[in-house]
Amino acid sequence: MAKAQQINPEGARWLQVLGVSMPLCLSYVPIGVACGILLHAAGMNFLLTFLVSVMVFSGGAQFILASLLMLDAPISSIFMTLFFLELRYALLGSSLSKYMQNESQRFVWLFSVSMNDENYAVNYLKFATDKNWTPKDALLVEHYSLLSWAGGNMVGGLIGSAVHIDLEIVDFALTALFLYMIVMQVRNHLSLLISLVSAVLAVIFLSLTKSTLGIIIATLIASFIGFMIENTVRQRSDHPDDAWIMRKLFRPASSRDTISDRQEKDREAEVEAELKAELKEKLQNDAKTDEAASDSAAVKQESKKSSGDK
Amino acid sequence: MSDLLTGMPVLSLVPSHHNLTYHLIVIVIAAFAAFIPRYFPMRFFTNRKIPLWFNEWMKYVPVSLFTALVVKSIFMSKTYAFVPFGHVSQILAAVIVMIVAYFTRSMAVSVIGGLAAVWLISLVI
Repeated sequence: MAKAQQINPEGARWLQVLGVSMPLCLSYVPIGVACGILLHAAGMNFLLTFLVSVMVFSGGAQFILASLLMLDAPISSIFMTLFFLELRYALLGSSLSKYMQNESQRFVWLFSVSMNDENYAVNYLKFATDKNWTPKDALLVEHYSLLSWAGGNMVGGLIGSAVHIDLEIVDFALTALFLYMIVMQVRNHLSLLISLVSAVLAVIFLSLTKSTLGIIIATLIASFIGFMIENTVRQRSDHPDDAWIMRKLFRPASSRDTISDRQEKDREAEVEAELKAELKEKLQNDAKTDEAASDSAAVKQESKKSSGDK
Repeated sequence: MSDLLTGMPVLSLVPSHHNLTYHLIVIVIAAFAAFIPRYFPMRFFTNRKIPLWFNEWMKYVPVSLFTALVVKSIFMSKTYAFVPFGHVSQILAAVIVMIVAYFTRSMAVSVIGGLAAVWLISLVI
């Protein structure tokens, strides 16, 4: 706290928000550099790299774009692959939309253009926990992360033209990024199962279609299977969250919390609070009935007494 | 004749090889592919409730997609043939990345660790 005051004595908002987004910005730099190297190898110059990092602004999409350009893929398949890759933002965007209800159309547009997996995570957490967090602050986080991402990309573009780097190794950055996201996404037995199903389907459909279309088919089928299984379990079982397939996987206790962890904890806390409130009410009711019972007993005794007196 | 055709402004827009125009078109297409799923659902749901089935289905899209993409880069050859042990160094590095991601839950550490792992393993193998 004291340190924050030293750096930011007037409490300027933009500096506070910069502090919030700093970890994100720092982690973007190395990945941005790797992506810039690949985009350079795909034939993009310095300015085009800058343009693509501002206009697309998505780590996964830019890596895929670079490798598709190197494979000379047709534009239609570039569009379809990227579209399905970015489809996950539909989910992120609609979950943030409730905080944007008082904003103008232009603001929603501006906000959605630079939304990303990681700055979404920061903003979702801030919106959920910090009452003073405004959509303007959220936009500022997006712009800071965009700045560090574009900077990393451009440095990568320069490094790529200056030194020779084994692209197969740099390309693994994308695989590592996706593996990280899979590990973060696999939370219960069902999502692990769906991940395995998707792996098998991907092999089958990629060998059948001989194009990236196989990925899209595998994704749609696997996610639909997941949706159907969850739906069936929820309908058939009395306690769907206790069913084996929906049960959570073990996580090391020392590891950090992510957004979904906190959401889950919040939900659990809510349920607990509700249970407590119910219990309290019940206890109060019991106490009342007890009182009433003892009252009536006292009345009876009194009436007995009075009848005995007679 | 072919010089004349490529000299025509419309046909030079039709990409056949890598040049500045082609890259600009690809960037615009990519920007649209990134923009549509980001903007329209958010815009649509700022004044409506999200249907449950949509949320439930979308929940499984990321994990399926990421797995399919990883499988493609590790287990498929450039001609889309299944090669279970074609990229041994990447398979080993992938296991290391998963372990690192599981314990640290940090994106930067996982990616940099993965790059270091694949580089070191490819030196040995």
